[in-house]
Amino acid sequence: MLRTWMREGNHWVWFNAMAVAISLLAVMGLVSFIVFKGMGHFWPKDIHAYTVQDGQGGTVQLIGELHRRSDRVEGNIKEGVTQVPQLLVKVGNRDIFGADFKWVDEQAITQDVTPKDLIMVERYEWGNFYGRLRSVTLGDGMTVTGNQAWDAFQQLIARHTELHKQIVRIQKHDIGAVNAGVEQLRLDRRRLELDNKLTEQANAKLDEKRRQLDNEYQTLLAQMRQLEQTASALGKAQIEIMTGDVVSLPIDKIIESIMPNAMTMTEKLGHYFHRIWLFLSDEPREANTEGGIFPAIFGTVTMVFIMTVLVMPFGVIAAVYLREYAKDGWITRAVRISVNNLAGVPSIVYGVFGLGFFVYVLGHNIDQLFYQEALPAPTFGTPGLLWAALTLALLTLPVVIVSTEEGLARVPRTMREGSLALGATKIETLWNTVLPIASPAIMTGLILAIARAAGEVAPLMLVGVVKLAPSLPVDAIAPYIHLDRKIMHLGFHIHDVGFQSPNVEAAQPLVYATAFLLVLIIIALNITAITIRNRLRERFKSVDN
Amino acid sequence: MSSVNVVLDHKSRQLDLASEPVAIEVKDWNLYYGQKKALNNINMLLPEKRVTAFIGPSGCGKSTLLRCFNRMNDLVDSVRTEGSIRLHGNDIMDKRQNVSLLRRKVGMVFQKPNPFPKSIFENVAYGLRLAGENNRNVLEDKIEWALKGAGLWNEVKDRLHENAMGMSGGQQQRLVIARAIAIEPEVLLLDEPTSALDPISTLAIEELIFELREKFTILIVTHNMQQAARVSDYTAFMYMGDLIEYTDTDTLFTNPSQKQTEDYITGRFG
Repeated sequence: MLRTWMREGNHWVWFNAMAVAISLLAVMGLVSFIVFKGMGHFWPKDIHAYTVQDGQGGTVQLIGELHRRSDRVEGNIKEGVTQVPQLLVKVGNRDIFGADFKWVDEQAITQDVTPKDLIMVERYEWGNFYGRLRSVTLGDGMTVTGNQAWDAFQQLIARHTELHKQIVRIQKHDIGAVNAGVEQLRLDRRRLELDNKLTEQANAKLDEKRRQLDNEYQTLLAQMRQLEQTASALGKAQIEIMTGDVVSLPIDKIIESIMPNAMTMTEKLGHYFHRIWLFLSDEPREANTEGGIFPAIFGTVTMVFIMTVLVMPFGVIAAVYLREYAKDGWITRAVRISVNNLAGVPSIVYGVFGLGFFVYVLGHNIDQLFYQEALPAPTFGTPGLLWAALTLALLTLPVVIVSTEEGLARVPRTMREGSLALGATKIETLWNTVLPIASPAIMTGLILAIARAAGEVAPLMLVGVVKLAPSLPVDAIAPYIHLDRKIMHLGFHIHDVGFQSPNVEAAQPLVYATAFLLVLIIIALNITAITIRNRLRERFKSVDN
Repeated sequence: MSSVNVVLDHKSRQLDLASEPVAIEVKDWNLYYGQKKALNNINMLLPEKRVTAFIGPSGCGKSTLLRCFNRMNDLVDSVRTEGSIRLHGNDIMDKRQNVSLLRRKVGMVFQKPNPFPKSIFENVAYGLRLAGENNRNVLEDKIEWALKGAGLWNEVKDRLHENAMGMSGGQQQRLVIARAIAIEPEVLLLDEPTSALDPISTLAIEELIFELREKFTILIVTHNMQQAARVSDYTAFMYMGDLIEYTDTDTLFTNPSQKQTEDYITGRFG
């Protein structure tokens, strides 16, 4: 019975099935782990009010979110140890208490309640704030207390959000444009100076333009100051914190405030998605430990796109030459072996090469030739988007070459002959027949390239990715795509938030959320490429047999 | 059924190789694959607007010879040739000969149907577009003419923009013929055009060859001696790179002058 079962090879089938199952479980486990750890962060947690014995007979109050549980070891090894269960409570109010978190022994807790009137305030600075809303002072000095206080509070926050948007727009967009103009004028003047063409007339013209921009700047600045004044005059909220003190919070320091204990499930769900949206669309705050990661998403995707644009033509042309034109001698073979081996070079080596060659040699020379007016400040002679994309293009080049070559080798000879027999030249045959048939394989190369490039971090740290980029690489100021700018990147963001952050405990969930997002983006990029490939495959499927 | 009779009927005419106008002249033609000689001193005159069949056992060089007429052997690095081939008096092996132009004059159809993975329309338009024809109306007219010429028009006129890979093998082979005749070549080379097809498709192709001989000089390589007897006016028998016997088809099959030819057509070897 067992013997026949084994002779039919069933045990191998079972082994195979087990291997597949283990692989699947590993992948699913990984994804669900980061989803669970990361996405839970956005759920509006209940705020607890703990009454804790202080060890001297009295009690203190702790207000905050339960962050996690863990055991503390007491005693020493000789006399035996006991494990004391502990809670880590996020008490917030970092500006007052000095730290966001407090450890508390579970045994010391005498009471644990979640009163409905506890509020959580998210601030632009200093992290979250927990307490009880006592009263709200309006701009005209009127004070609202009791039940109306919460509504007045929410209205003020909403008005401030509106003002804040306007301020940010003026600051980033309008003043940004004026600043770019001023910088451009400085460069124009310097260029004329270098060319010895800075005449009185030209100088006067530039001065005139400068005056215009200065006026514009003053107008905008005045507008902004006025908005800021309006914002700061909106009012204040008096909030009682866990020590019993009442703290006054100006409205213009507040992003939003919720009463999680009083929220219904639907409200919580709505808030959950609102927070995820903020995470995706907002800019980071507080050394990346709070706010969103939009610049990192944008940077990653832009860089992968530019890399694609760079690597595809080079890779395909190189593969076409190797497969179709180069004579099959030892040089061709050596080149092919080298290309294959390039795929195995550690990525940090590419980073070093990118820094040493692209940035310092190429970039330096580009600056000397085209951006002399900006010197000594480097334009391309410093890490930036272009060099990051170029380094990744170099890194993924072997993948594209190898799969394109395989695709070209699989184009049936009859197709080439059919085209040649109709009077097509070799290049016409390549262009009209061979490359279209090989296009699914070329797309496979692209998919592999994207998969490798989007997840790469190490080389990017050397050639253009930074912790915090002041502006996106694409904006409304000419030339619209700024290849010289430094960018943020999800992979590096994970590293930075997880390991370089001043507030690791608070940032930890963001690491998981960012990791999940990075996986999602790579999957999305891949699915796009795979869809295109499958369409091409469908078109050329009958050629393969 | 009547068309089969037509195919067989044309044999009754009298043919005389010596009095035919010459399309291609092969003179002292030798071909080597590296060190190995594949064609040995071939001399023959191929008549215009006639069907000439090449028969012989596998490896006798008949396909190699056919591929010399449109210089398809240029693609093989190790091939070296001696002698001359003249198409209407012009040496096609001349250095100044534009190979693309030659191939437009000498079309070719291969053993396995090889339509491009494009629409039926684009397949037939391929050669026309290469020749610089991009006017939609002209293209449509020529494609209709070519598809009618290949006996395919009625089957595909309503689905010209469907992918050609969805057609049956026989249809694909006729499409490939339409593609070849669309650029109006002088000579049409058919390299075992029916060996991958079923009997009914084979019959359709044979009828087509019969009709096309009015307009084109047709050279066909075939393994099937009945096919050679059915479709060709003249037949050349090749063996081991030598041209053994070359005369009108009736004579070759009924009264061969060479012992080797007789052995082959009676099935004693090959």
